[in-house]
Amino acid sequence: MNLMADILLNVTIAFLVGSVLFGIQRKVMARIQLRPGPPIIQHLLHTMKFFIKETVFPKTAAMPFYVVITVILCAIWVAAVIVGPVTQGPLLLLFAIFAIHKIVEHNAGSSSGSPYGKLSCVRAVFSAAAELPLFAVLIIIFLQTGTMQLSTIVAYQAEHGALIFTLPLAAMMFIALIISKSYYYSPLNITLAKDIVSGFETEHFGMLRGFIMISEAITWYMLLWVFLTVFFGALSPLMYLIGMVILTALIGAVNALTPILNPNHSVMTEITLAFIGIVGSIIMMFYI
Amino acid sequence: METQIYLVYILSFVLGSIVGLVLSYKKYTEPFVRKNIDVAALVLAIIGWVLALNFALIPIIPDYISITVGVFLFAMVIGMRPGYGRYETVIGFLVAGIIWILRTVLS
Repeated sequence: MNLMADILLNVTIAFLVGSVLFGIQRKVMARIQLRPGPPIIQHLLHTMKFFIKETVFPKTAAMPFYVVITVILCAIWVAAVIVGPVTQGPLLLLFAIFAIHKIVEHNAGSSSGSPYGKLSCVRAVFSAAAELPLFAVLIIIFLQTGTMQLSTIVAYQAEHGALIFTLPLAAMMFIALIISKSYYYSPLNITLAKDIVSGFETEHFGMLRGFIMISEAITWYMLLWVFLTVFFGALSPLMYLIGMVILTALIGAVNALTPILNPNHSVMTEITLAFIGIVGSIIMMFYI
Repeated sequence: METQIYLVYILSFVLGSIVGLVLSYKKYTEPFVRKNIDVAALVLAIIGWVLALNFALIPIIPDYISITVGVFLFAMVIGMRPGYGRYETVIGFLVAGIIWILRTVLS
């Protein structure tokens, strides 16, 4: 297939599936809390709604950065789709995109001039320490497979079996990372915690918010896609969908049943999980 | 080709959900309190789930058409106003699941 068509196809799938998965997550959370919950396509409808709302700009906004940052956020996740499902390129690039996401969160918060945005911006810096599990997963996978190329990691698993069975603690660290990037009432996502309204998104309105919501959906899809690809290997599209729905429902249950941690506790929880994951994985790799 | 077909299924699900949401808000003006089963929604759910899971039962229709139509129909029920369509979805899935087991595992 033509590369551009392939990119467009995968980005559209990422956006639509990510949006529906958010709906499923909210539905699971609502049912646990004995509420009917919003319709499954609520995130998608919200995204569409923001594109027909008036876009207003706060007087305190740092122009043009305030506008550009939303486009950058969208662009990095489109790049992630290109590196991931389209080309099955290097894992290192995907993790670089996760790191840039943190910088974008920081800048989106600071560019609005809102106190909530600024708090979210400070927390984005603070929680960068919590990216430790991310890099640990990367190193452990490299030690086990000897490669950073997604296509080669998939081929490795076809020969030796799924990595989830050989590196369960690395998978646990990755799940912690996914929870920390989960958008609805995550115990670990301190940049979007409800005590600072909507965090770095608070002062982005109309079309700009629409772009952010598209990015959120693609981010969610990509996180789950990377997890399934790295720890389960080559899956059919149907198995990807089933895996994503199960993971989203599990994370929805985690989010519904846990309190939202304060920044110190969130970062320390992630660092502790990273420590257990790194030490445990190395012991398992070399001694079991 | 497989990825394109899945995009069609996903679009079918999204469109079905939107249609279901709009129609159910027109049909039901109050929140989900009576907990009755909607016969029309039940029929749609059963047909939808059976078509999506048991497309092999109708060999004259290409499987991707059966699945697309099936996904659209059950998405209409899943996408109904919050609370509505819940029982119908479960019943539809169970009926289709039983047919699938009878067709594949027990035959």
